[in-house]
Parts: sequence; structure tokens; C-alpha cells
Amino acid sequence: MRIFDPHIHMTSRTTDDYEAMYSVGVRALVEPAFWLGQPRTSVASFTDYFDSLIGWERFRAAQFGIRHHCTIALNPKEANDPRCREVLDVLPRYLAKDGVVAVGEVGYDSMTPEEDEVLAAQLAMAVEHELPALVHTPHRDKLAGTRRTVDVVRESGLAPGRVLVDHLNEPTVAVVADSGCWMGFSIYPDTKMDEQRMVAILREYGTDRMIVNSAADWGRSDPLKTYKTGLAMLEAGFDESDVDKVLWQNPVEFYGQSDRLVLDELPGFTASTDTFAGNSVLRGGGA
Amino acid sequence: MSAFHLGYGTNGFANHRLDDALRLIADLGYTAVALTLDHHHLDPYDDDVLAETDRVARLLARLGLRCVVETGARYLLDPSRKHHPTLVCDEPAARIDFLRRAVRIAAELDADCVSFWSGIRPSSVNPELAWRRMRTGVSTVLDEATPLGVRLGLEPEPGMFVERLADALHLRADLGEPELLGITLDVGHCVAVEPQDAPACVREAAGLLVNVQLDDMRPGVHEHLEFGEGDLDLAATLAALDEVGYTGVAAVELPRHSHAAPDVAATAISALRAAMVPDRAPRTVEGEVEWVTQVDHPWLVDAEDRVRADPAAIATLFPAVGRKVGRAPLRPESDPQGLVHGTVDDLARTRLLTVLAGVLAGEALTTEIAQLYRYGDDAERRGVLRGLGALPEEVAGTGLEIVRDALRANDIRLVAAAMGAFGARHLDAHAWRHGVLKCLFVGVPLAAVADLDRRADAELRRMVSDYADERRAAGRDVPADAERLLEVRS
Repeated sequence: MRIFDPHIHMTSRTTDDYEAMYSVGVRALVEPAFWLGQPRTSVASFTDYFDSLIGWERFRAAQFGIRHHCTIALNPKEANDPRCREVLDVLPRYLAKDGVVAVGEVGYDSMTPEEDEVLAAQLAMAVEHELPALVHTPHRDKLAGTRRTVDVVRESGLAPGRVLVDHLNEPTVAVVADSGCWMGFSIYPDTKMDEQRMVAILREYGTDRMIVNSAADWGRSDPLKTYKTGLAMLEAGFDESDVDKVLWQNPVEFYGQSDRLVLDELPGFTASTDTFAGNSVLRGGGA
Repeated sequence: MSAFHLGYGTNGFANHRLDDALRLIADLGYTAVALTLDHHHLDPYDDDVLAETDRVARLLARLGLRCVVETGARYLLDPSRKHHPTLVCDEPAARIDFLRRAVRIAAELDADCVSFWSGIRPSSVNPELAWRRMRTGVSTVLDEATPLGVRLGLEPEPGMFVERLADALHLRADLGEPELLGITLDVGHCVAVEPQDAPACVREAAGLLVNVQLDDMRPGVHEHLEFGEGDLDLAATLAALDEVGYTGVAAVELPRHSHAAPDVAATAISALRAAMVPDRAPRTVEGEVEWVTQVDHPWLVDAEDRVRADPAAIATLFPAVGRKVGRAPLRPESDPQGLVHGTVDDLARTRLLTVLAGVLAGEALTTEIAQLYRYGDDAERRGVLRGLGALPEEVAGTGLEIVRDALRANDIRLVAAAMGAFGARHLDAHAWRHGVLKCLFVGVPLAAVADLDRRADAELRRMVSDYADERRAAGRDVPADAERLLEVRS
């Protein structure tokens, strides 16, 4: 099984996770910029974080044979904080980078006027930089938020085929299916979606424009949920090519619209500890 | 586009008035001059030397000529004995006095350096005594140069006491590696007397080069020839200067062609330009497979034009380089990750930075370089690090901050790029040693460390030895590079 995890926050994960992901077939991923659990208080926190997404984390993933890409944006939650909003001014610098394959995560959290404004501004940036957009749907008041998201996308001038609307579930999938946008599902241990419910949705809606991710972060989550969904699909009677379509071809097709995906095997990759002075990842510490 | 400045030596215009020579040199398209102080060319013993120096400085500025000061005049000090007195003869005082005057003139001219040689050792002077005289003489001149911040370039000269590059490097080491004492390299001399070819000499002297003289020569024969008449590989030599990030003056040295100076100088610049045509066919060097020395991509040419027209465009062009011109290592066989010699996108980014330095100066340039690094991804940061050597001296302070930042990173590509020629030239001993040790830790081959042999000292060997002990105590292998470093004794 080859797996492209289209939404996972590796900054919050350990090297054990990278090794486990590689061992089940994860060869590429996208790490969307999001909030950090602890609210940021300045633009500098964002830029250091973005630097990590286009620099260090990319390098770290490569040590484990995994191609790392990211999306860059001001997330919906922090769009409400005037101390953070100034980050919009530096986003164009980052949207020009090799490893940046979409604008995201953008979308709604509490559906405030500030969020409206920031969402529209960032969708405009996606148009300008010829990048797709990854749009998050809110945890609270989800159905209304999803409808409003689809409306704003329609007004943005961004083609629906260049938008991935994420964190969908049974009540919200139909709205997005009708819109022409790509449908993203985050498979979690006990919130959002689980593998069995995902399989049911795939049965009902088919595999076109369907994207599955682990959205693993610093919360209770599991970086192998993509793989486990693949297993669940096989058990439910889907064949290998269906699994490959959902777990590899679809995300590659969606993010490939950036023309910046690099998916060839990392040259000379070995996970052996010899390569890095006795450390399995470079820490610059002692022998 | 190369980052160094092509020039011509006024000793090749010995039959011209100085002003005429300078104008002709500038008119031919040279952007630098190697000015040999002589009785008819800015005579340091003239009563009006101060006013004359000031006048020449203004003329150089008006003509856009960068300059180095040369001190090889034949009969300036003693009308009957060529090049006499020298630093190694029995009465070196007049030579030392002359070099000190040259230093003061260089300071007024804002010259890159004062170039000098040792002189021929008289048979009555034994090598030990000559060595002591060199030490004393050079130290005295350095005392004059230090408060003025003038660099000295010691030129190995065939037949003289300091004859080869190794001799000059040895003397420098013996003097405690003075910051202001660099090397003047005549690439023709490399053909005549050096054990290795000119490109190899360029690489060996890399971080220390303050002045380069260009001419052709045949092995074993100290006769300055026009390009193509001897055995010099001019294209490979110029490419090596580019490769090591040399940004100073490279001036044609044809002192015996003054009788036909204007024609010879015109022919020389054509030959130089032909040898610098972008993207020559890949060639084979030292048995290695073919490798690239230049990028000549239509996108890059266009990008250079756009930066010339609007320097701010570099902010969006710089990140796109890899997508447009590729990311392959320059020498994939020996350096698959591009840690030692860099990559195609590194080279392309150096070109963009060189163009930027041509249209921006001062704080505007420094700020843009700092921003490109600050907002750069790993590849862009590497590009800035590798391009620092091609930028003017005014960026050196910012460059050093950038190098220090990269050495705090753990991305091996950044660490490797930080330890290149710029780092070798500007990092203090402590920071540089820790950089070397970090390379060993994270697996950067020490071939990526510029000037390793020259800068490696007892303290570094002590640190590496402790590191090796620590590895052995833990039952781990000692990296081969560490073993090699410990084997070398200075």
C-alpha cells in the first residue's frame, strides 16, 4: 500500500511516528500550517513556524524516506487576533516556496466578520499564486459553516476543483459533493471520522474526489489512520486499485495542481542509524 | 557573469603615461587595473606624491577601475641592479621603506591590496637567514598596514626565495596567519613551477587570494606569454576562480609586451571573454566524470534581466530557481548530495545575487540579502550561503551573521554551505573550529570545508581527538575524515 497523507502535523510527532509511517507505506505527506494549541501572540511565531515547515521538518522527514510538503496560511482561529493578522503581509514570500503546495488551512472557526475577511483574502492569494486551497470546516456549527464555506469559495473565483474542503462527516459531505470541491475526511481515534464510517461514505459516494487523512497532531490522534482506513476498505471489499486511488492518486492529483509535488524516491535513503553519527535524527548533540 | 574583476597591469603599458594607460585599459572594457608604482607611474618618492595619489584615485573612480598596487618595478630603488634591494638581501631597509610607502598609497587609492615578492636569495645568504629576514620584513610592513586596514598579497615568484604557493603559505603560517596577509597568485607561474595546475592552485589558495595575475606560460620557463601561447587552461582557471567565489582583481600581467600594449590588451580581453562564455561543454577534471561549471538556462538569463530592471523581483525569482533550472548536484559522482561542490540551483542563485549586487549597494543590498536568507527555504538559504563569496565586502558583516545562523542549524546542507570559502575567510578561529567539529558530527564530508589544511590548528586537532576518544569509548566508529585530520601534522 503506498500512502500519501494529505493532512498531518508532523511538527507535533516523533521520529517513531515517521518510522512507523514509512513501514506501512507512507512515502509523501502534506503538513498544513495550523495553530499550535497555545495561541500565538506575534507574527514572529508564525514565521519561525513557517520556516520550520519549509526547512527543518522537510529535512527531518527526508531522513525517514518521506517526501514532505506543506500548506501555508493564517488559520481561522487566529484570524480573530489582530496581533496575528499582520502575518498576511508575509504570506506571499512563503507561497512562492518549493515545498508549499496549497494555501491552507483557511476556513471558519467561529464564523466572525474577521474570519470572513481573512478567508476571502487568502483565497484571493491562492488565485494569485496559482495554488490550490485547503479549507478547514469548523468544529462547532459544522453544517452551517460548511455551507457558508462553499458559498465563499464559489465567490472567490477559485475553481472548485482546486479546493479541498476538509474534516467532513456524514451531515456535511453532500454539500461539498454537490459543489465540485474535493472532499477531505480526517480519521481520528474518537472524534471526527473513524475507519468504518469512512468506508460507508465511500460506498455511498464512490471514490472520486475523496481524500482521507490522519490529521494527526499533538492531540489524541493516530498517524497510521490512513493505513488503517486502507485495510478497512480492503476488508469491506474494495480492491487494491480503489485503495490506491483514495490513499495516493487522489491527493497527488489534488496537490499536483500546484506543480510543486516532488514524489520520486529519496536518493540513497536508509533509515540506518549509522548515517547520522549514532542518532537516528540529527540533533547536533553528543555521540 | 563572473564575480571577479578583469584588469590589466600598468607594467604592460610601460611606454605610456599613466593617465593614458588607465584610459586605454578602461576603454577596452577592463574594470580593474594592477598599478605598478614606478618612477613614471605614481612615483612614491616624488615630492608631490600625496597630491598625485589623490589625483589618480579620482581618475580611477571616474573610469570605474578597481585597483591593486604592485611593487615589482625593476629599477625604482636601484638604477643599476634590477629589483634590488629585496627583503632577503643584506640591506633590506629601502625595500621595506618602499613597501610601507606603497601601503599608504594603497590606503589612499582604496586599493584591494599591496602585492609584493621576496626577491632572489643571494648565494651568500643561507635559507635560514633569508627566512628570518622575510619574517622581519613582512612583520614590519604589516605593522604599517594594520592600522590602515590594507591587505598584503605575497606573490610566489619563480626563481625567488618564496618561489611556490606552498612557500608563501608556509611563511604565512609561520607568522601566525596574520589576517591582512594574503596571497597574490600569478596563474602563469603555476604552469611554470608549481607541482599542480593553476585551477588546483586557485582552489588551494581560495580564501586567501587577494590578487590574481593572468598570463600564459610554459612548464619550467618563466616567460610571460599571451593567452594561448603556453600551456595554461585559461577557461578552467577562470572557472576555478568562480568556483571558489573569488571577487577581487584578476589582471593581465604582460610586462614585456609594452611595445604593443594597446593591441595586446585588446587581444587579451577577447581571449578572456571567450574563455568565460557561459556553459562551455562539460569537461573532465582530474579523472572525474563530466561536471557542470555554469548554468545557462533561458529562464535564468531572463531572471537576471528582470533583477537588473527591478531588484525587488529577486524576492519571487529566488525561490523559483530550483523549479526552473533544476537541483542536480554539480559533481554527482563524487558528491551526490552537492554538499561539497553545490548544486545547479546553488550556482544559478549565485548568479542572481551577483546581478543584484550590480544594481543595489550599501544598506539596500545588505537588507535584501538578509531578507532572502531570512525568508528562504533550505535551498534558498544554501544559495545565499554559497553566494556570499561573490558579494562585495560591504555585505561581509551580514554574511557573517548568516553563516553563524546556518551553523546553528542541523540541516547538513546548510552546515556544509556555511563552511565554504566565505566562512573560512570570516569566521573567527573558535567558531570555525566548532563548525568543523559539527561537520564531523552530522556527517558533512570535510571536503566541504574550505581552507581546512590552512586553518586546521592544534586546538582543532585537540577537539577532534577528544571527539574520536568519545566515539571509541562508546564503541562507535571514528569518521574517516576525523582520522585523516588527526594524521596531518602541521
